[in-house]
Amino acid sequence: MRKFVIQQFTGLDDSTVQRLHSLGLQTGSPFWAVRFYPFHGPVIIQADDQRIGIRYTVFHTLIGG
Amino acid sequence: MTTVALLGNPNTGKTTLFNELTDKYEYVGNWTGVTVEKKVGQIRHSDTVVVDLPGIYSLNPITKDESVVTNYLLKDKPDLILNVTNASQLKRNLLLSIEVLELGLPVIITLNMIDDLKRSGHYYNLETLSKSLGCPVKTTNARSKEGLEQLKTELIQDNVQVNANGPLKLNYPLMVSQAIRQADQALVKDYNIEPHFAHWLAIQFINQNKVVRKYAKTHQLKPLLSQQAYYDAQKFADQIFETRLSFIETTLAAATEQLQSTQHVELTSKIDKIVTHPVFGLPIFVGVFYLMFKLSFDWVGTPISTELDKLLSGPISTWATQFLTQVGALPMLRSLIVNGLIAGVGGVLVFIPQIFVLFACISILEDSGYMARAALVTDRIMEMIGLNGKAFIPLIIGFGCNVTGIMAARTIEQPKERLITTLISPFMSCSARLPIYSLFVAALFPRNQAVIVLSIYFLGIAVALLMAKFYHVLFKVKEHSVFIVELPEYHIPRLDIIWHGTWDKGKGFIKKAGTIIFAGTVLIWLLSNFGVHGYVTGINQSFAANLGKILLPIFRPMGVTTWQPISALLTGVLAKEVISSSMMVLFHTSNQAALIGVLSGSFTTLSAYALLVFILLYIPCFATIGTIKSETGSAKWAAYSVVSGLVISYGLAFLIFQIGSLLA
Repeated sequence: MRKFVIQQFTGLDDSTVQRLHSLGLQTGSPFWAVRFYPFHGPVIIQADDQRIGIRYTVFHTLIGG
Repeated sequence: MTTVALLGNPNTGKTTLFNELTDKYEYVGNWTGVTVEKKVGQIRHSDTVVVDLPGIYSLNPITKDESVVTNYLLKDKPDLILNVTNASQLKRNLLLSIEVLELGLPVIITLNMIDDLKRSGHYYNLETLSKSLGCPVKTTNARSKEGLEQLKTELIQDNVQVNANGPLKLNYPLMVSQAIRQADQALVKDYNIEPHFAHWLAIQFINQNKVVRKYAKTHQLKPLLSQQAYYDAQKFADQIFETRLSFIETTLAAATEQLQSTQHVELTSKIDKIVTHPVFGLPIFVGVFYLMFKLSFDWVGTPISTELDKLLSGPISTWATQFLTQVGALPMLRSLIVNGLIAGVGGVLVFIPQIFVLFACISILEDSGYMARAALVTDRIMEMIGLNGKAFIPLIIGFGCNVTGIMAARTIEQPKERLITTLISPFMSCSARLPIYSLFVAALFPRNQAVIVLSIYFLGIAVALLMAKFYHVLFKVKEHSVFIVELPEYHIPRLDIIWHGTWDKGKGFIKKAGTIIFAGTVLIWLLSNFGVHGYVTGINQSFAANLGKILLPIFRPMGVTTWQPISALLTGVLAKEVISSSMMVLFHTSNQAALIGVLSGSFTTLSAYALLVFILLYIPCFATIGTIKSETGSAKWAAYSVVSGLVISYGLAFLIFQIGSLLA
């Protein structure tokens, strides 16, 4: 598992940002990437003892890409 | 009568808690404007009514279904709100709790699944939490019935004292506080709105709650509407979120107590290492669903269905015939009851074991926590056609029965994606179509039966995926798919929860057998027993035959040369499994072997394949059409599915036959 910190929400659509906020994630929140699926498939992340599946593009944006 | 509203995040065990708290419950129609069923139950030996609200992450809804809760709070005033939280994920659960506590209604918070929290090595000081949040905080574990009696006692008590201190008031940044205060004062003064409600309205409006903003517009709440641009420009919503999160972190830090850790969380991680493996995840998913289908259509469901069929077509039909003869019933009435109702309605009822086993399997997958993983491993494939992993499950379920597949599409957040999934579901080859495939492949493709049937199944998937892409472009789906899926802890499924889930899903099918299928059966019987000169003894003079003969020229370009299959297809609209039995009657054959012989003489391999393609894709059955109407809330989409199915099936069957004839 690799540790990351949420750098930004810029570039994500409002609904995705809202749902991520509802899950308690904000800029500066630490999280761990548990799994990456091939061909830029979904990524499983872990934050605050909860595991969440997100799309690779969302993950990429969160880490500041 | 006291009304308790059950409110909370998804995956908090809310439904289990509802089932445990209430001894009886019923669906009292749908929530206004959406197809989410309104579930109301009563606590035993009390006049306390519990309303089960849909699971939500926030009062600011993303989907139409989620708006149910906000609309409920805007219009109804429950006597008490029971906020169910997942004790292990209190941080994000409290984000919703704060929104509810700010409303000022009596609230009790329960930390459910408390055992999971204890096993993770943590606990919360309930007194600290209660003091900070300003409401009673209880602990429960609905699955093991822990803490339920105490909670029930609290719920049926007089709840006036619950929130004696009024709504929760957070220290928002100065500018935000000022904006809230100015707005709520104006709302109270100019619009005579109750102070607590005005305060909550102001916070929700500033926090960009879509439903509240619509409410403000409808009620012309000028103090809010006039400042909307200012609130948004100052990014007050972000400040509200940060204040809430900081409040939660401080509260939880003060209330957290350490316990001795155990390995439970590790167990979920260990299972996930295999189940959500990047390479093996997909084959495991295929394996799980294969097992589900084997159980439903091979090992358990079908043998029971076969026995039920034997019972219906054997002793029950014989007994009914004898009884009706003895009481001197007219031959016509006898035929209606035995050949129409028992054969028709019974022909559909025999599928109940298969459907219930399938639903039980789905309930097990849901209750154990696997369903979320299945959505995850299939997301990449679905992304290619503009849908997301959550749409894959309804399509797979559609192989069993399109009706249940369409119902399973409820979990999809975006209305357009949900609509697309609903519209493509009938193209998945349901189990009811298998008997007619079996007949044709036995008659015309005896050496390649499995390959031909498999090709039909794959063609259904291909058409569904192509149509999904087409609709994606047609509906101009611009919004990104919100694919954020929570992976809950695994649980060992509990029998009563599985039964509740199975019954809730399957009872509609039984209801349909008694209503729409009953009515349809009578209609088909009338068509095949009456002609222009009244009651006919030979089916050749019946309306069904006339209709088949009239439609024959339309079917000729796809290779059909006799009227019987066409009339049988018409009966297939009632239920697909009826096609084969109708052909038996219409071709005057007494058994399956004789029918196979007739079919091999009436069709070529090419025309048979074209007809199979037509059967795969043409008009969905009555039950599916009805479900499309209820799930989309529009007869227009139900009618569209009929027309589109006809056009696509005819077009493809026509092309296959014509191109095949040219190449032959």
